[in-house]
Amino acid sequence: MDPAGVFAVRYAQDRALIRTPRQWAALALFLAALVLMPLVAGPRLIAVANIMLISAIVVVGLQICNGYAGQVNLGQAAFMGVGAYTAALLAAHTGMSFLLVIPLSGVSAAAFGFVFGLSAARIKGFYLALTTIAAQFIFHFAVLNLPSKWLGGSNGATVPPATLFGYKISTDVGLYFLCLAATVLMVAGAFGIVRSRFGRAFVAVRDDDVAAGIMGINVVATKATAFLVGAFYAGVGGALWAYLLRFVAVDQFTLFNSVFFIAMIIVGGMGSIVGALIGVFVIRLVQEVITSIGPEVAAAFPAVGGDIVFATMNVFLGGIIALFLIVEPKGLMHRWNIMKAGFRLWPFPY
Amino acid sequence: MSQRRTLGIASLATAAGLALGATFPIASFAQTTYGVAMLSDFSGPYADVMPMLGGGRQAAVDWWNAEVGAKLGVKLNWKNFDTRYDAAQTASLWPGIKSEMKPIAVIGLGGPDVAALGQRLADDGVALFMGTAGYGYAWKPDSWIFNPRPTYGHEQAAAFKWYKAQRGGTAPLKVGIISSEASPAYVDIARGIERYAKDNPSEIQIVEVVFTEVQPTDLTTQVRRLVRGGVEAISVQTNTAAVVATKRALQALGSKVPVFTSSHNGLPASGKAAGGLAQMEGDYEMYGMAVASDDDSPAKRFYEKLNKEYKLNAPWNVLTVMGMAQGMYTVRAIEHAVKKFGAQGLTGAKVRDALFADPITTEETFGTLPTLKFSKEAPFPVEGLKVNIATVKGGKYQIAATGVDVPKVNKW
Repeated sequence: MDPAGVFAVRYAQDRALIRTPRQWAALALFLAALVLMPLVAGPRLIAVANIMLISAIVVVGLQICNGYAGQVNLGQAAFMGVGAYTAALLAAHTGMSFLLVIPLSGVSAAAFGFVFGLSAARIKGFYLALTTIAAQFIFHFAVLNLPSKWLGGSNGATVPPATLFGYKISTDVGLYFLCLAATVLMVAGAFGIVRSRFGRAFVAVRDDDVAAGIMGINVVATKATAFLVGAFYAGVGGALWAYLLRFVAVDQFTLFNSVFFIAMIIVGGMGSIVGALIGVFVIRLVQEVITSIGPEVAAAFPAVGGDIVFATMNVFLGGIIALFLIVEPKGLMHRWNIMKAGFRLWPFPY
Repeated sequence: MSQRRTLGIASLATAAGLALGATFPIASFAQTTYGVAMLSDFSGPYADVMPMLGGGRQAAVDWWNAEVGAKLGVKLNWKNFDTRYDAAQTASLWPGIKSEMKPIAVIGLGGPDVAALGQRLADDGVALFMGTAGYGYAWKPDSWIFNPRPTYGHEQAAAFKWYKAQRGGTAPLKVGIISSEASPAYVDIARGIERYAKDNPSEIQIVEVVFTEVQPTDLTTQVRRLVRGGVEAISVQTNTAAVVATKRALQALGSKVPVFTSSHNGLPASGKAAGGLAQMEGDYEMYGMAVASDDDSPAKRFYEKLNKEYKLNAPWNVLTVMGMAQGMYTVRAIEHAVKKFGAQGLTGAKVRDALFADPITTEETFGTLPTLKFSKEAPFPVEGLKVNIATVKGGKYQIAATGVDVPKVNKW
């Protein structure tokens, strides 16, 4: 719904994602705030932001696959791992620039994801969820059992820092700008994808794949493409993760991580790019706040004991996520849309 | 009392105070404070063992502050950070820890800490002190991450060599390994033992490496294969569930082949899970630190001191010993740095230099660890390595051997 008095008089206006000067101003301010953040934020916040930005790319990819195309995907962490390992190999053995390594890592993960996309053509729901869990195990066992000269096996793989014109991007602030640039690009791309004919096909297949097929949509190709795109995003996130830690090991990409990515899109709101970003922000923020508060509480009340304090904090984290799901099962984005519509209609009820 | 007399007494008291102050070195009053970050897992997979491990290391630092640091004019402010045993959490926490605490040492917990910090500690100039045995994948020169114990492969090789000597004869000891591919660390342990066997065919012969689920319930088929292959010892270095499943299988097959475990899945813990310590009769655990048996030892006496005087509430067991040992070699490295470079201006790099400069003797760690001689060659001492071996005999947990030499194990 547009603000009162805003009418699209041209097709381009009707299609525009940002429709008013105020919206442009808000976006510009938001981006400026992100760019200027290192000037005011401490190292801890920058580090948190780096993890959030990488998670955002991975979760936006999952949102396209799961939220838009309706393809249950519990293997997003494995796709991220494929991207991370590709980045590690390319960066360490070819000396390729990160500008090439990152997209190629996405392509590698996309190829792996495409295989599972093909299986989605025949199965759905719980069966598809189980198949994508298999991606986790295939990735895990492949890394550990392939000759260790290839992927490092149980030794993991070290990654040289990204460099640009001889400048090493290894500081937290340098990595922040790398992650920010990649996130802005990928999120902009995601908006483009979901508003394209591919995006409309995703939504049609999600809502009713039989009806979508009757309407002329190639359901098999659409499902496979959803996995391909989602895995590409995960691969790009994985490459950034590799540059952040400069060490990748198979146990950094577990089923538990995949489940957490799903939790982020549920909390943020299914079928919304902004919802995915909000989900990442909220879950990570709660995690980080609780992790930061824990030591302070333990220090302030030593009689309680650190173990009890930290365990309570974890229960609190689980409680907050559960509360979100009970109060707003459609995600925070849904609540935000209701509030926005109510504000625009005020004082009328509808 | 007249005003003049009061003034006189006050002047005398002031003069006496000044004179008394001048007789003591200024350093005894001025105390330099440094940060020591403790990476912990209070809400992840190791939350259940953290009170023991964490209690041991905290008490060790508290003891050092009170009885050593006070004399040196140094106080170590420790603080716990909950990493959830998650590399992402450690990575996001570390820059904040570094800027807020400016730690001169980090006491770590496990693989995620190594993964998250391994590539940046050299740039940050802070050393990470681990408590566990080392891993093959971390066996790199010029490390900023240290383990007081050699790799699990080293410890296991020492135990097998010792057991072969006990058995007598020249034939190699036939060994079976039960492991899991669920964690790269487990695979690494198996690879280490395989490497030792490959390089020392006269010492041990691997009958089979069984990779199974991480929490197996029934291993009868796999253990039957091992027993038929004539194994004389079975190595289970993963977890207590695997030890229990192996014991159940051996009992079902009527076999008395001993099981060799490590510190994290040792005999008391596995025995508890199996239904009693008597279930582990004739089995062994081995590691390069003190055994938490009832026998009198310097480590036990030190534990009792910490328990009575430094609020160490954790029970006397292998995890508490691991925490004490980890805390002790960290504070002794800092102590060496203070003695070498002075109490002022201490940095993480100086602590690391001091660690390489002089060995940390077993007396300094109250017998919780053997004498440690670190070098730039590896993240753990590669010379003079010793392990202790414990067993269950007559239903009693006791020391089987102490100071067993660790053989040379090549990198894998």
